[in-house]
Amino acid sequence: MSEKPTVEEYLQNIQNGQFKAYKCVECGMVIAPPSGSCYGCGSSKMEWTNVSGKGTLVSFTVIHVAPDEFAEEAPYYIAIVELEEGTRVSARLLGFDPLKPEEVPLGSVVILDYEINKTGKKYLAFKPA
Amino acid sequence: MPLNNTNIVSAAQTKFGALEGVSLREMFAEAVDKATVDAGIPKKDIQAAFIGTFIPEMLVHQGHTAPLLLDFAGLKGIPATRHEDACASGATALRAAVMAIESGMYDTVLVAGAEKMTSVSTNKATEALAAAADDQFESSIGLTFPGVFGIAAVAHMQKYGTTEEDMALVAVKAHKNASTNPLAQFQKEITLEKAMTPRYIAWPLKLFDCSPISDGAAALVLTSTEKAKQYTDLPVKITGTGQASASMNLCDRADLTSFHASVDASRQAYKMAGLEAKDMDFAVVHDCFTIAEIIASEDIGFFKPGEGAKAVREGTTSRDGDKPINPMGGLKAVGHPVGATGVKQAVVVYRELIGDAGPNQVSNHDTAIMHNFGGTGASCVVNILRRADA
Ligand SMILES: [Zn+2]
Repeated sequence: MSEKPTVEEYLQNIQNGQFKAYKCVECGMVIAPPSGSCYGCGSSKMEWTNVSGKGTLVSFTVIHVAPDEFAEEAPYYIAIVELEEGTRVSARLLGFDPLKPEEVPLGSVVILDYEINKTGKKYLAFKPA
Repeated sequence: MPLNNTNIVSAAQTKFGALEGVSLREMFAEAVDKATVDAGIPKKDIQAAFIGTFIPEMLVHQGHTAPLLLDFAGLKGIPATRHEDACASGATALRAAVMAIESGMYDTVLVAGAEKMTSVSTNKATEALAAAADDQFESSIGLTFPGVFGIAAVAHMQKYGTTEEDMALVAVKAHKNASTNPLAQFQKEITLEKAMTPRYIAWPLKLFDCSPISDGAAALVLTSTEKAKQYTDLPVKITGTGQASASMNLCDRADLTSFHASVDASRQAYKMAGLEAKDMDFAVVHDCFTIAEIIASEDIGFFKPGEGAKAVREGTTSRDGDKPINPMGGLKAVGHPVGATGVKQAVVVYRELIGDAGPNQVSNHDTAIMHNFGGTGASCVVNILRRADA
């Protein structure tokens, strides 16, 4: 894993159920989704890193009206999760009733998972720890 | 130093709404005619044009809109450039025009924006709008624009105790203001109960928290101080302007209860104008969703972070309040033809400042701020406008 990471591989890793983040070679900042330059030091030298998969639920919404591609899946949760490593990702949120969003505990610990849709496409997802 | 050479001398918009049978170029030409010949400004005086359109490629299968629209509007030949920053396209075009005049390159220019959104299905229009978010990292998991603002709303509710009812009150205010604006898409007041109808689009946002899909165009004529008097006795000066960008992805932002580009752009604009939020008589802000107006009112410094909802509840932002916001109805009730919106906001500010807002006139109208942001808040333009005799 020494070659320069690419967005295509990042997305493919999710499809393979093997989520990995970028890591700045210079300062060690963990970055996901990918950025071409480090938010910490500006370096553009990146490598892959594994993450613990543990995170905190920062905010969320429930999509009721979705574009055609996702219409059959609605209502579904989209959440912002802060990983233990400090970076934040957008992902599906599993394990909660989409019709009872008031029961979702913000700030709670969630763990990495994947959601597979009808066509076999995987979404990055999180579920309650 | 405040800018001193940019004057708005004419401003107009078409009706916003589902303009059946009116094509993009026709609504554009209507707005241009209203802002030029109908206002006594010969088209031959216009030296260059700055055009805002968002995504006509997907909506009406037409790119390269600047020369096409100018030709139809009788302005063929002059420099014509399209500006695209999603929902901030209009104000981005306006800002480019300000820079062109301040540089001394031109005396008199046209700023115009237009979007035709209702000739495709709602789903197709939604898909087109989604192109203003990050396709690979956020749209691809099913995040929508209402979803983006739903996430911001949840964060704001959690941190500050803002409620669904507070957001609904923004919609009630918008519809009330638009009820006396004949150019608005919705000219009907709604009750709080109706605004609270639990038809969720992206929880906690409901149907009445969202701006509609609209057609429409707006246009302005800007000129130098030397030339302004030949067109009007009451020009409006743009004395400060700011622009900033932020990450497209919500997940890359440390704070979801504020839009940094809005904060940055407004601070730049205030600094340039040598004024502060307390000096503003009213504001026109980008209320694509009700929560967006609450957050914008905090980001532009009208209220402290977390106090925007209280201001709505107490009527401070009503047309007759101390700090009126969107006195003619905002995007929420007047409509949001994306490329036209930022230009239309300047039209509203101009009309209010010169005292030409009829039943929608605010009582104090010397100085105002306009705030136009794009997409997920990744682009923002803020301008400070002041009546020349104020
Ligand atoms: Zn770094």
